[in-house]
Amino acid sequence: MLRVDLSPTHTHGEYKLRVGKPLPFGATIVPGGVNFSIYSRHATSCELVLFEKRAPKPCAIIPFPDEFRIGNVFSMIVFDLDFENIDYGFRIDGPFNPEAGQRFDKTRILMDPYAKVIGGRDVWGQAPDWDDIYQHRARICFDDFDWDDDHPLEVPVEDLIIYEMHVRGFTKHPSSGVKYPGTFAAIREKIPYLKKLGVNCVELMPIHEFDEFENSRLSPVDGRLLVNYWGYSNVGFFAPKAGFAATGKFGMQVDEVKALVKELHKNGIEVILDVVFNHTAEGNERGPYISYRGIDNKIYYILTPEGYYFNFSGCGNTLNCNNPIVRNMILDCLRYWAADYHVDGFRFDLASILGRDQYGAPMHSPPLLETLAFDPILGKCKLIAEAWDAGGLYQVGSFPAWGRWAEWNGKYRDDLRRFIQGETGMVGVMSQRLQGSPDLYGWLGRGACASVNFVTCHDGFTLMDFVSYNGKHNEANGENNSDGGNDNYSWNCGWEGESTDPAVNKLRAKQIKNAAALLLVSQGTPMILSGDEFGNTQWGNNNAYCQDNEISWLDWDLLNKNKELFEFFRKMVNFRKVHPALRSRTHFQNKDYMGSGYADITWHGTKAWNADWSATSRTLAFMLCGKHAKEGKAKDCSIYVAMNMHWDMHGFELPKLLKGMLWYVAVNTDAPSPQDIWDVGEEKKLGNQGEFLVGPRSVVILTGK
Amino acid sequence: MDVQVQEKENVTVIYLDGKLDGNAAPLVQEKIMTHVLAGCRLVIDLSKCDYISSAGLRILLMIAKQLAREGGKWGLSSASPEIIDVMDMTGFNSLFTHYDTVADAVSALKKEA
Repeated sequence: MLRVDLSPTHTHGEYKLRVGKPLPFGATIVPGGVNFSIYSRHATSCELVLFEKRAPKPCAIIPFPDEFRIGNVFSMIVFDLDFENIDYGFRIDGPFNPEAGQRFDKTRILMDPYAKVIGGRDVWGQAPDWDDIYQHRARICFDDFDWDDDHPLEVPVEDLIIYEMHVRGFTKHPSSGVKYPGTFAAIREKIPYLKKLGVNCVELMPIHEFDEFENSRLSPVDGRLLVNYWGYSNVGFFAPKAGFAATGKFGMQVDEVKALVKELHKNGIEVILDVVFNHTAEGNERGPYISYRGIDNKIYYILTPEGYYFNFSGCGNTLNCNNPIVRNMILDCLRYWAADYHVDGFRFDLASILGRDQYGAPMHSPPLLETLAFDPILGKCKLIAEAWDAGGLYQVGSFPAWGRWAEWNGKYRDDLRRFIQGETGMVGVMSQRLQGSPDLYGWLGRGACASVNFVTCHDGFTLMDFVSYNGKHNEANGENNSDGGNDNYSWNCGWEGESTDPAVNKLRAKQIKNAAALLLVSQGTPMILSGDEFGNTQWGNNNAYCQDNEISWLDWDLLNKNKELFEFFRKMVNFRKVHPALRSRTHFQNKDYMGSGYADITWHGTKAWNADWSATSRTLAFMLCGKHAKEGKAKDCSIYVAMNMHWDMHGFELPKLLKGMLWYVAVNTDAPSPQDIWDVGEEKKLGNQGEFLVGPRSVVILTGK
Repeated sequence: MDVQVQEKENVTVIYLDGKLDGNAAPLVQEKIMTHVLAGCRLVIDLSKCDYISSAGLRILLMIAKQLAREGGKWGLSSASPEIIDVMDMTGFNSLFTHYDTVADAVSALKKEA
């Protein structure tokens, strides 16, 4: 098609220019050139700064002619650019008046907030040149990719089994046996392992570009370099972390991530990204100028009346999420990852910040959260909130949801841990947690899958450490063990730390199996922390955000050492997948609406039909009626789960099945491996159909068929 | 980038010498596409190609797609292990076969013919 607007109208030195299109923001390849567009409401002028790739000094500084500004948007097409080999940034002039919230500085070179590729930290851990005037360099990206027929998988949320991982930590350890350890490409190599385990969704801890050298320092304890390893501190929201890509040094991280997503999808595994919209890496007034601060400080950040940064994130600043401009940026960002990267969902870090207004006050109906809930492009994406923030807002069970948002159920984690370690007074609340927490999510059309159930996540103890440490051991973080949470609800099984005592280790393995079993028979969406399935340890460090070393990296040698745990997890995952009764989208109704003779869920104890709800009880059992599986839409056998968290053995009287049906043992965590769990179809018929002796601190699962 | 073309046993061998990037892409595309014909047999030799950029990968992909449409057969030869890895990790390897040498490629494509 012929167009009349493909020729330059202006020049600047050797550069040929034309007024650009204001949308989309960012740098877009157009016929003959590149369209640059950037918003700033309070800027008085703007310049495009071009560098040859990685060059210390710019090769061109091109002012946007005034006629190239529409409203508050500066846009310009630059023709004949060798766009693969340039870095670009902006210099923006405007008032410097911190008390009024404005911090323009026309000497700073600012990264494009919409940069799709960001250089400057191309190879993980490679020390940056701190004298470089442009640390995080926007680059131009090919947005085409050969997806073939790939499409987000849209696995029903009730069928999802999430596996949380850190891209680098998953394979960085030499024991991982991959070609390019610690990269996106290495995850592809581990797909057969993920399939063997049976998970159908990986949740990647932050993969947006961040700076591992942010606040980097030497540990006062052992002299090791401490870095921002977790990456909960965005430099840019649209660019994948170059240092996580084996091809990052060539700037090909976009294609590497897309190739990973495509391959995961091909193997039936969804991808959820952990996204961090609560703050940026610019920190407070003492932090660097990377982008937002110099583009329009007042727009991007929530500021105190005196012009300082509110710190609801605990990280120095707070992104002004419900400002209409920032709200649109977040929406653009999520749409981009959903449409261009085929990502299946998002987990929002400290999501309660997304519900605060421009003055920091929590809102009843936050526009951003509502927009995301109803957005057409995100319409099938999983939206999962970490429903609290560091400013004291705790919204587990009350996160504004519109029937769309799920939550990391922090109460599930805490209650399950307390129950497993034998606290009394937990059976009542456990009955709620096992059912998908109807006490929290039984309202407003939310349902069981609003609850993402987990016992462990990246933040806190690993599962092995949960049964090996009474308290945190974060000395290596260099903060005198004062960082990290103290509410771990953990129990070391009799010895603090690694033990050679067979009895201690046996109990630990059993407690891990108890946790895995309960997690995977609970209604709601289970999430497993990577490495828990083979007993990975962080040696008691419950806040390993800065540990880019063996503390955080998964030790794959443990897979062999703790084969018993892996096999248990693998078979438990399969058990969940085979039994639709465990995967109801809605909450139970506590009645027999199928005419089967049994209610959908019934509660038992050492006596059938008679659970001990007393304050001193440590025993509980429940039975799911298979005829009610998935609200009667699926067929299943009956499932009976007995939980004895007391240190003594207890006999559990079994509820009678319909005539002709018998109980079979699928799981008994008290039994030695491999009798602890039976493959589906291999369950052992129970000799005594009237009672089961459940061992001390044990979980038993029976199938009735 | 320098592009040389030779015929070997009814197989067209195209030698790329230099960096296959955005600057070289138009020339390479032009020179190769004239040989992408119905039923053609094509080898692109990368023994002297020390770098392929994102744009370069896309050129190879476009050639592969065009060849698939035309019913041609083709392969790459003598790429460095690093280039092969990059192609693999970025998902650009699904549409072609790599051969260790030009001779291997010619003999394989000839046989298929």
